[in-house]
Amino acid sequence: MPPRFRFLWPAALAALLPACSGPKTAYVEPGSSRLVTTLDQVNIQDFAQAADTMVASLIDHLINPGQLKTGVAGEPALLAISRIQNNTGQQLDTDLLVKKIRVALLRTGKVWTSTTIAFGGPEDPLAAEEQQVLRSSAAGTNRRPDYTLSGKIIEDRARAGNIRQTAHVFQLSLTKTPEGIAVWEDEKTIVKQGTRPAVGF
Amino acid sequence: MNLSTFLKWAGPLAVAALGLGCSTTTINTTEPAVPTARRDMLADQRVTTDGSLARAVRVRGVNTATDAQGHLKVQVEVENTTRSRKSFTYRVQWFDAQGMLITLPTATAVPRALEGGEVGYITATAPTPQAKDFRILFLEPVTR
Repeated sequence: MPPRFRFLWPAALAALLPACSGPKTAYVEPGSSRLVTTLDQVNIQDFAQAADTMVASLIDHLINPGQLKTGVAGEPALLAISRIQNNTGQQLDTDLLVKKIRVALLRTGKVWTSTTIAFGGPEDPLAAEEQQVLRSSAAGTNRRPDYTLSGKIIEDRARAGNIRQTAHVFQLSLTKTPEGIAVWEDEKTIVKQGTRPAVGF
Repeated sequence: MNLSTFLKWAGPLAVAALGLGCSTTTINTTEPAVPTARRDMLADQRVTTDGSLARAVRVRGVNTATDAQGHLKVQVEVENTTRSRKSFTYRVQWFDAQGMLITLPTATAVPRALEGGEVGYITATAPTPQAKDFRILFLEPVTR
């Protein structure tokens, strides 16, 4: 090998190394495939996947067939958020699921969500106060929700050898008020198997 | 072995070893060639940057339907042409009539796996009636 090429391969190797090793910390798009995936937790991509499935199901089975009824002609149906029970071993903010569904339903133009009537108290206390003032005046009545959204997040774990499996089950029901009839229900199960946490899926 | 012989072979071997250790993943896309919704099988346009994934997970066809409320539904028929289980992820992007991307917090990459020779269906419902076009991105699993 001519002496002038002696350092060619080491230089090429040195050039390749930075390309293969990623940065220590980097921003990742929340909808990408490069998010951290863990067995023991409900990851943000799991919430997004469950919410996406639920919204598609609501559109397919309730909105598109024209089954979604509104109490006020010319206005979208009004939804109130009821209890979303967390039956997993971890502490979860269920808004990671519910807010995504609310945003997507609002964009359909067929559903509004009440921020003053909700399980556990109003989401917006100031708006609820204003509503109280309106109710006590002679001006009129407040709109009541046409539907309530309730649900449960369940966890199931299994193990075979060093392979561990975790299933998170997302169950949602849409109840027509005041009749109390579930007019839509669905379930999404996300199952993960592995031996250790990973980046990407 | 003298130094020049060592350098001649050690370099390529090291590069080959590194290549095995850090494989790259790129995206294949499928989208309508004619950007209008039809109810039957759609002429699709594909951009393939990962040939091995495109060969292993072959898109057999795309069909769409629009329902009474104006929501576009898409169904993509995919086939695992290999003899073993193949995992991949896909993402569905929606565009309005002006070709603008519709962003939603529910948009996410969805993991999927097909057994050897299996034909599967990817179905998606547009989140709003404003969605008139779509693009589906396919990606190899990027676990590391």
